[in-house]
Parts: sequence; structure tokens; C-alpha cells
Amino acid sequence: MADTAATAGAGGSGTRSGSKQSTNPADNYHLARRRTLQVVVSSLLTEAGFESAEKASVETLTEMLQSYISEIGRSAKSYCEHTARTQPTLSDIVVTLVEMGFNVDTLPAYAKRSQRMVITAPPVTNQPVTPKALTAGQNRPHPPHIPSHFPEFPDPHTYIKTPTYREPVSDYQVLREKAASQRRDVERALTRFMAKTGETQSLFKDDVSTFPLIAARPFTIPYLTALLPSELEMQQMEETDSSEQDEQTDTENLPLHISTVGPAFSLLHSTHKTHPCCPQPVTLRSRHDLPRASGFVSGTCVMGS
Amino acid sequence: MPPTGLEPARMNRKKGDKGFESPRPYKLTHQVVCINNINFQRKSVVGFVELTIFPTVANLNRIKLNSKQCRIYRVRINDLEAAFIYNDPTLEVCHNESKQRNLNYFSNAYAAAVSAVDPDAGNGELCIKVPSELWKHIDELKVLKIHINFSLDQPKGGLHFVVPSVEGSMAERGAHVFSCGYQNSTRFWFPCVDSYSELCTWKLEFTVDAAMVAVSNGDLVETVYTHDMRKKTFHYMLTIPTAASNISLAIGPFEILVDPYMHEVTHFCLPQLLPLLKHTTSYLHEVFEFYEEILTCRYPYSCFKTVFIDEAYVEVAAYASMSIFSTNLLHSAMIIDETPLTRRCLAQSLAQQFFGCFISRMSWSDEWVLKGISGYIYGLWMKKTFGVNEYRHWIKEELDKIVAYELKTGGVLLHPIFGGGKEKDNPASHLHFSIKHPHTLSWEYYTMFQCKAHLVMRLIENRISMEFMLQVFNKLLSLASTASSQKFQSHMWSQMLVSTSGFLKSISNVSGKDIQPLIKQWVDQSGVVKFYGSFAFNRKRNVLELEIKQDYTSPGTQKYVGPLKVTVQELDGSFNHTLQIEENSLKHDIPCHSKSRRNKKKKIPLMNGEEVDMDLSAMDADSPLLWIRIDPDMSVLRKVEFEQADFMWQYQLRYERDVVAQQESILALEKFPTPASRLALTDILEQEQCFYRVRMSACFCLAKIANSMVSTWTGPPAMKSLFTRMFCCKTCPNIVKTNNFMSFQSYFLQKTMPVAMALLRDVHNLCPKEVLTFILDLIKYNDNRKNKFSDNYYRAEMIDALANSVTPAVSVNNEVRTLDNLNPDVRLILEEITRFLNMEKLLPSYRHTITVSCLRAIRVLQKNGHVPSDPALFKSYAEYGHFVDIRIAALEAVVDYTKVDRSYEELQWLLNMIQNDPVPYVRHKILNMLTKNPPFTKNMESPLCNEALVDQLWKLMNSVFFGIIGLSKYRPASSRSALIPQHSSGCDGTPTTKPQWSMELAWKGTGKEQSPLEMSMHPVATAPLSVFTKESASSKHSDHHHHHHHEHKKKKKKHKHKHKHKHKHDSKEKDKEPFTFSSPASGRSIRSPSLSD
Repeated sequence: MADTAATAGAGGSGTRSGSKQSTNPADNYHLARRRTLQVVVSSLLTEAGFESAEKASVETLTEMLQSYISEIGRSAKSYCEHTARTQPTLSDIVVTLVEMGFNVDTLPAYAKRSQRMVITAPPVTNQPVTPKALTAGQNRPHPPHIPSHFPEFPDPHTYIKTPTYREPVSDYQVLREKAASQRRDVERALTRFMAKTGETQSLFKDDVSTFPLIAARPFTIPYLTALLPSELEMQQMEETDSSEQDEQTDTENLPLHISTVGPAFSLLHSTHKTHPCCPQPVTLRSRHDLPRASGFVSGTCVMGS
Repeated sequence: MPPTGLEPARMNRKKGDKGFESPRPYKLTHQVVCINNINFQRKSVVGFVELTIFPTVANLNRIKLNSKQCRIYRVRINDLEAAFIYNDPTLEVCHNESKQRNLNYFSNAYAAAVSAVDPDAGNGELCIKVPSELWKHIDELKVLKIHINFSLDQPKGGLHFVVPSVEGSMAERGAHVFSCGYQNSTRFWFPCVDSYSELCTWKLEFTVDAAMVAVSNGDLVETVYTHDMRKKTFHYMLTIPTAASNISLAIGPFEILVDPYMHEVTHFCLPQLLPLLKHTTSYLHEVFEFYEEILTCRYPYSCFKTVFIDEAYVEVAAYASMSIFSTNLLHSAMIIDETPLTRRCLAQSLAQQFFGCFISRMSWSDEWVLKGISGYIYGLWMKKTFGVNEYRHWIKEELDKIVAYELKTGGVLLHPIFGGGKEKDNPASHLHFSIKHPHTLSWEYYTMFQCKAHLVMRLIENRISMEFMLQVFNKLLSLASTASSQKFQSHMWSQMLVSTSGFLKSISNVSGKDIQPLIKQWVDQSGVVKFYGSFAFNRKRNVLELEIKQDYTSPGTQKYVGPLKVTVQELDGSFNHTLQIEENSLKHDIPCHSKSRRNKKKKIPLMNGEEVDMDLSAMDADSPLLWIRIDPDMSVLRKVEFEQADFMWQYQLRYERDVVAQQESILALEKFPTPASRLALTDILEQEQCFYRVRMSACFCLAKIANSMVSTWTGPPAMKSLFTRMFCCKTCPNIVKTNNFMSFQSYFLQKTMPVAMALLRDVHNLCPKEVLTFILDLIKYNDNRKNKFSDNYYRAEMIDALANSVTPAVSVNNEVRTLDNLNPDVRLILEEITRFLNMEKLLPSYRHTITVSCLRAIRVLQKNGHVPSDPALFKSYAEYGHFVDIRIAALEAVVDYTKVDRSYEELQWLLNMIQNDPVPYVRHKILNMLTKNPPFTKNMESPLCNEALVDQLWKLMNSVFFGIIGLSKYRPASSRSALIPQHSSGCDGTPTTKPQWSMELAWKGTGKEQSPLEMSMHPVATAPLSVFTKESASSKHSDHHHHHHHEHKKKKKKHKHKHKHKHKHDSKEKDKEPFTFSSPASGRSIRSPSLSD
């Protein structure tokens, strides 16, 4: 009967085709069980007088048997739980069989029939162990005001901050170098992209790709683009008030904000600048993202030190 | 207010009209201008004017008025139809059949044509016959009201329409129109007496779309909607008597800003620019306060309006109670370089409000007084606002300009007096044009005229003191102010006109000083003084023997007799000596105060009382002289070439506190490439207290010296370590600090130094690799994120620096320039230029300064043979629709290409643009650039110099409206370019400080073998109407207007079929006529039948 319960437990995971090679211990367990059931079916067929059977029919019968046993297990479990127990008793099984329309009384006779075949017990395989959840550190004991029956605290890593101690890049020269080359790369990539996707002019008749110039396009109202500050500049102006314009010293390792997203995004943003004559709504509103981001990065750096 | 003639006004010249005699047989008292329809699509205007006049003679039967290009439908005098004739001789200056094609002939014909319609001679294009019914009325000298219906179609001048071709209504498109012109050119947009001396009161009415705003002179009395609410009429009233030439108009969908400091001042700008307008005009009230304070006189008009418009004719145009500015003067708070320039424009226009608009001139020969006073008080404003250094520097700059011009071209005469018409005595015989009339002048000449006028005012101030000077101005203003509030009948209005004699009289009354010699020298006579000075120290006598020679035989010079100040800095202090320059005395002995005693360690007192320690080891042991300056106060219009030893110049540079002296010594040190000069210049560069402009010019001088002493130069390239110390990070000297332009002085220095460094050359005459890498690093590490100001000018100058570093390519067998044989340095430069130019498309910089610099740099690369010479790129940037600065830079490159490659195609392309471009400034500028950098010169073999071109140019000269010239106040696209000296490779893209005005080369005789292009230095600025040249003499005037229309509708018609077409067209024209008039004159030839017989 223990076997039945085990089968019932495995029933939920559904059937698996035996052909599939798997190395998982749990899968091996299921396969072994299934093989035992097949042996049972085959011996019952032999008992019934069959000499041979197609594989498909054996499979089908195995499936039916497995389903039947699973159902007995499931049902028995329900009955047992119905009576507020955790372990099924014999009577639970009996009630189950009755419920399924099985005449229980015939069972002892059938069990003792003479022509029955005895099959060897399946090799004992261990129930697969579910890997233990990773525990890190000592679980915290309950504080006195919490009764002990309450669940334990979860693992400490789930609720305790674990600051990283990565060394921030602090060499001014490297930072400037990085900022400069990143900006340059972004600008280059962006202009090349614009040049590739649009009309271009070239200084060399035979080569249009090495120094592509985005074609000059006249504006209908040229003074607007020439006079109005770009959005990038506006944003810069708002950010920079005169107090920030103190004497800069390069010695104090300014935590420069290096982010590929920053300049690239703002550049892209400004390409969306509305054409003066056909106003389009500006969809990208990145103005607040940039300062926040930089503030955040510098904030963590401070924490780290 | 129109004085409704109660009493026939007798000309009363005894009391009011002191010295002023009107050239007209009538006096104008009031004029109504009513424009009731403005069509932006067709660029047309319909309206009427009504002039109220009083005859001053009994037999007045013809009235001459000014009107150009207007189509006149009907004239009525006191409601009676009047016959009229319209004749504009300037439309066809030389008749076509003429075989004589030379400048003299043209100039004479043109001068004759202009004076034939000159209002100051009582002439006009429009001659109205007074109906005989009114003769009796006139005999009683009773008032006449002349009512003229007119229209204007596609005006070529006077009014400029800007109509962007986008979707939407005219207001949404930002379409606008404004009046413009050079001197008195109001006749281009309505009939009037177009003279500065005929004052009257005004009523101005403009009916415009409800979404538009009309801005005009005087007080806005009311705005009235039409019944359908789609239009409104602006009523302006100007009660201060004003000349028609000072009337203006601007209509557009303006955004309006009432000045927060002065509620009577209103500012107008085009849509979307309001934030810029707010910032730009936030300073104006200080200018107001300054002028009102020094003149002790309130601003004369009850209101003031500033209008900022696109495609401006000139950057600043001042009219009565209103100034029209170029919209490109607007800037945000982030822009450094434009701010002082714009403020100067504002101050200039305001100065002209007092002198020029409120006070007008009696005649053309009195123009210098107005220009002089307004320029002079503008200078006082400069001194107060930007400091004495800036002021003195400016005066020196202006002085250098006028001296260079006069020495090159010939004298500029401020007060021309025209005698009995003897052409032999013509004071301006060296010029190719008459100076009798403002409209025949060259634009350049007029610019210099204004420059000289204010300098002469300064000389007068030197003579009579500023206090008296301001008293004189105050007197002029209060007289005018009193007169302006009087009624016409009091005959006081002429006191609002200034004349040379009145001004001089006022000076002598106020100051009690006789300035006649000064006036005679600088006003009645042209030319400047050229001094050559040298000295010797006589040790025995302890006397400085100064020799001062003059050159007064070269053109543009004059002899100077009178006092001359000489300042001698000795060991014991600075001493002023006034020498008397006389006819034959060249040598002057000046006693020295100090014995040479350099052993005693004593501080040396300077002119300003300061005492300094000096290292005297450099000086001559026997002489106590440190340096000598001739005319340090610039109280003579002169050029001084003075010889003193190099160490004296070095002392002068280090220790003389006058910026002009420092500037002069820097110029002189160029000739002394020694380590000592190098040290003096480096010290100046480092000195924070030193005036930034001096430091900037020290940069260029240092570069020149370094190049001269390249073989002995030690250490890193000039200025490199200096720049590193000042602007680079302490820990990593190859990286520039993140930009911080809070200190403008160091900003300008930071901008300039790399530009000067790029001019350094090594022994192979190449730019040192180290310098190029340095500049490329500056560009690479440029970081403006923390800066309060825009770095667009800075980046533009970095590109200029790259361009300056370019040297001619080494070319083998004239191989074709391809990418493969590209110099690796040039490849780096091109990489930067490409990136910058492309980034401009995504993130445009203010006024596109970076594009401008990139285009110039590309032309430099082309000229030096690194990149194939090709005008295609420039031509695309020169098209209409680009920002004007870009266009000018591109056109400059095309002009240069035309010259270098002798390209006929490009010359034709340019000439075509001269005729057809919608922007007058661009048309003018192309001609200007062609004369400065001519495709070929006299006696030069060129395939471009052929007969066809002569024909073309002659036609062009004869077919334009000449009146519209003089973009006098327009500075070059980018004034900073004046800082960049010429490249060693000769002519390049950047304008030079000295205009190459090639007068001498111009046509004198006959003949087609001479350079025809030189003719275009004539003020041929605008508006070609090529059709008129082909008109035969017989049909000359009768059908101008029909053909005018005809041309515009049908583009080019073959003139052979002219007459056939004319008739057909006439009938068409009648049907099409959008406005119906019941007048007999309507739909007919404008020559009225009643007059023609």
C-alpha cells in the first residue's frame, strides 16, 4: 500500500515516455515503478492465457492500471483527511474501493487464487531528495514577544542589506578619458547612423563613406533653430546654477557620472526636437532621469567609503 | 494733428526758420498714411496717403512728390481730380543705346538721375498738376489736401516681405513685413516728401489680419476690428513733427512684451522667441537712463518700440520712436559673445532716437553732425558700460579703420560744400561716385563717414571739454523739444533740424572757444595725417631730439599744423610735452628731466601716479628714456610710425597702463623676434589685470615671433605651457578642465590662445605635431556639462584653430586628391570637422557658429590641396533657407573658389543669386565679397574677363534700384573672425581687418579689357528689374508698370513681342484689376493724358 501512495504522489507529474533518457534520480524512480507495473500487467495477461501482446496494448493496460491505483490512492487520502487524519487506514481503502464500485468481498479470494504469479519486488530505490534550500547564516531567533510557534524568520539574506564594496573608479584622468571617449563614440555612432539613413554629401567624389556629411537641408524658418537653445542646453542651464560654478579642483576626485545611457539618451532625445514648423509632441521626457541617475551613483559611492 | 488752415500760412523766414530755406514752394504740415490691404501671398499693399500742404508762393501749379515703384491710381487735390506724371530716371540710368560703357559715364548719369528726383532740391518722381479750379485758392495761400491712391506689388525695396513656405495661415507661418532702406527711402512704399528736412505730423493707419500686429511710429490711439472681426485697424498718431524718412512699419504675428522697467517701452518679436526677447531687452532701461542723464533731457517721444524681424536689411534701423532690429540679435542668457554686441546695437539705436530721428538734418551736408553726435554719445555709453579700456580700444580701432580707408581710397569729406557745379573742384574726384547725394555713395564710404564723424566729435570734446559738449547737445534738444510742441503756424519746426553752422554756433556760444581751425582741418577738408617719428638722445645736452616728418602728398593725407602732444617716460617719471607742428620744423628738442642713474634703486613713477619697480638692465645705460609716445590721446586723426628700440617697446608693453600703448607696442614687437620680446609678451599673457584684448593680440604676436625665431626657439611650443597652467588640470596636464566661463576674460583668452598656437610653424613650415595633438585633445576633452554658458563659440574657435594649423599639401605631379593619399594629420582634422558638422544637424549651436567655422575650415583644406576643390557643398549651404551666417560663410567660399579656379559657372551662379535672392543683405554681401576678393583684377589674363560679362554687369548696374544701399551697420557674420589673422597661405575664408577695397583697380577709361567686376563695387545692391534695360526709348515710361506686372506673371517674355503683348496684357490687366476705382486714371497708363499734351 505504501507503493500505491507513492504512485498516487507521482500521478500528478503525469506520464512520461519511457524512451526518453533521463538522468534525473526522480525520473529514474518513476521509470522503475512503471517497469514494475508493466511486469504486473504482463503476468496478469499470461495468467489470462495470452501468449504475446503488442507493446501498445501493454502500454495502454499499464496506463489504465496506473490510473486505477492512483485514483484509489487519491480517494483514500481524501477520506482519511475527511476524518482529520493524516495517515490512511484500511477502512479508508475499503470505503474507496466500495465507492469505486469494487466488490471488496471478492478480493481475498482473488488474492489467494492458485494460478497467481508472484513477481519479484522491484529494486528498492530511494525516494529522491529535494535539494535543501540554501541557508545563509544563522536564522534569527524569535524576539521574546513573538510566540515560538510562529514561523521562523526567513534566511537573513532575504531581508538584510548587503552593501557591495566595489572600489569606485576614482582616478580623475581615467574618468575624463572615459567620459570623453564615450561621448565621442556616441556622437560618432549617432552621426554615422544619421548619415547612413539619410542623404549625404561628401568631400571626396570617389568615396562617400569615409567622411559622410549629413546633407544640408534648408529650413523654412531658419532663425528658430539658430537662436533657440536646444533642449539639452536648457536642461543644462537649469541644472547649473551659479553656486555650482565654484572653483573646480581636479584633485578632489569628482565622482563623475559615467554612463553610456546618459549622453546617448539625451542625444537621441534632442534629435526628437520638434521641427519648428510642424510641431510634434515630444514623447521622450528624459530630463529628470539624468540628474537622478547621476545622483544615485554618487550616493552609493559615498556610502561605500 | 492736422492744422486745419484757418489762416493762409505765409512763409515767415524772419523768426522761426532760422537759416533754413525750403527748396519747395510749399510747406507740408500733416500727412495721413492709410494702408487698408496687405496681401502676404501676393506681397502687395493697397492704400492712400493724404498730404496737407500750404503753398508758399502764389503761382504754385505743379507739386512734386517722391514716389518709387508705387503704382498710383488717382490723385485728388481738395477733392478735385488732378493730372499727374510719374517719371523715375533712376530706373534706367544709362540709356541702352549708349556706346560708352565706363564708370565715369555711369557715375555722372546716375548722379544726374538721382538729383533729378532729389527732394532736397525740390524735385520728385511724381509731378502733380494743380487743377485750374484751385489757382485762385492757391493765390490766397490756402491749405491744399492732396489725396493719392496707390498700390505696391512685389516691392523690390522699401518694404520687405518674409513669407515662409509652410502650411497654415500667414500668422501661423510667421509671415511678416517691415519697412527698410538706406537713408531716405520711404518713397519706396508710399508717396511722400522723402526728405529729412520736411517735417510734419502723422496719422498712420494699417488694416491687418486680426492675428497680426502692426507696429509703427507714435502712439497707438486705438485698434478697431472690422465688422466681420477678421481684420483690425491700428491707428497711430505721431504728433511730434517728423520727416517722412523716419517713418517705419512692421507687421507680423508678433509676440509682445511690455518692458517691466519702463511701461512706455514695448518690445516685439516673432513667435516662439519671447524668452529670448525678455532676456535681450532686459538691459535696455539702463541705456535709457544713461542717455537721459548725460543729456539731461527726457526721451523725446512718448513711447518707444523695438521690433525684431527676420531677413533684416540692416542689423539696426532707427526710426521715430521705433527701432527695427535683426532677429538674430536675440540671445539667451547662456550666450557670452553675442551679449555685448547686441547691447551695443540697442545703445546705438537709442542714441539715434535723439539725434537722427527726433532731431533731423537740414541737408545732406549736415549729416555728419547727427552721425557724429549719436556716435559720440554711444561712445560715452560704451565707456561707462564696458570701461575706459574698452572705450579707448574701440576709439583706436575706429581710428585705425578710418586712417586705413583714407590712405587707401582717398579722403572722406564730412561737410561737402557744393559750389557752382564746377566738376573740376570736385573734392571727391578720387572716387568713382559723387558724394553730393547719399544715394550715390558707396556703402563702404558711408560707413567710414560715420566713423570719422564720431571721431571728430571726440576731437571737439577734447577741445571744449565734455561738459560743454553735453551742454550743446542739451541745448539742441531743448530747442527741438520746445519747437516740437508748437503748432505748425508758429514756424518753429525747423528748429528741430540741425545744421553744421547752427551746431558750430551753439558750440561757440556755450564754450566761448574758437574751434574753427579744428573744423577746417577735419570737417571741411578730407584726409588724415601721417607722421613718421624717430629720435636721438643727446647725452651732452641731456636732450631728446625728436624728428617728426609728415607725408602729405600721398592720396588721403593732409598736412597738419598745430599742437601735438608727446609723452616721454623717463626714469624720473612721465612727462608731457606739447610740440608745435609747423610748416618747416621737423626737429624738436625736448629737455630730459632725469640724468641716467640706474644704480639707485628707486621706484619709477608712471603717468597715472603709480610707482613700479623695473628691471632696468635692458635699457641703454646712457639714456634715461624708457619709452616715447606721440599723440597718446589720439587727438589727431593720424597714423604714427615711430621708431624706438625694441627694449623701449618692451618697457612700454609691460609698464605703460594705456591699452592703446600696449596694443601699439605689441604691433611693433612683431619686428623684434628676440627672447626679450618673447618674455615681455608671455608676462603680459599671464597678467590677470591686463586688458583681455591686449592679451589676445599678444597671443598672435607671440605666434609670429615664435615663427620668426623657430631655429633658436627653446622649450615647448609657444603658449602651450601657459595654456596648460591656466586651463588644464593640475594632475593631468594634457586634459583641459571642465568648462567654466564665469570669468569672461579668461574665457576669451582660452578661446584665442589655441587659435594663435595653430599658427605656429616648425622649420619645415609645418604646424608642429605637438600643437595639433594639443588642439585635438582640447576638442576631445571639452566638457561643458557643468557650465552655465554655451560653449558654441569656443568650439567654433577650436575648429578655426584646426583650420589655422593646415599647411599646403605636398603635391607630386598634380596628382588628384583622393582619400588614399590623404595626410594622416588632415585625416584627423577631417574626422573632427565631419563630426562637428554632423552634430550640428542634430544639436544646432547658437547662430550655427560651428557650421560656419566648419565650412571655412573645409575651404581652407580645399585651398591647401588636401581635399579636392569643389564648390558643390558650399552651394548647397548657400541656398535660401539656411541661416544667414551659414549662407554668407558658404558664399564666401564660393566666391573664393570662383577666383582660384576661375570658374565661369560659379560666377554665373553668383550673379544669378545677386539678381534673384530674396534677402537683400545676401545680395549685397555677395557683391561686397566679390569686390573684396575679385575673381580677377585689372590687367590680369582671365578666361572670365570677356565681353559677355561686361554686358551682363552693365545691364545689372543699369537695371537695379540704386536707392537701396548702405548696409552700413551690418557687421560681418561673425565679428570674432576679425581676431583671426590671415593665414600664411594668403587669401583665405576669414575676413581681414583691413578691407581690400580695390578702388585703384577700378575702371577709369573706356574699354572692355578692364575689369568689369570692379564696377560692382558701386552700390549696386538690390532689386534687379532687368526688363527695364531692354525697353526702348520710345516706350520708356509709359508702360513700366504693366511690364512690371507682366514680368512677374509670365516670368521671361521675349522682348521682341513686347508691343503685342503689351496690348493684350493691358486688357487682361483691366479684367484682373482687384480694386476698382472710378477715377479716369484707373486701368490706364499712368501718364495722364491731360498732362501729356
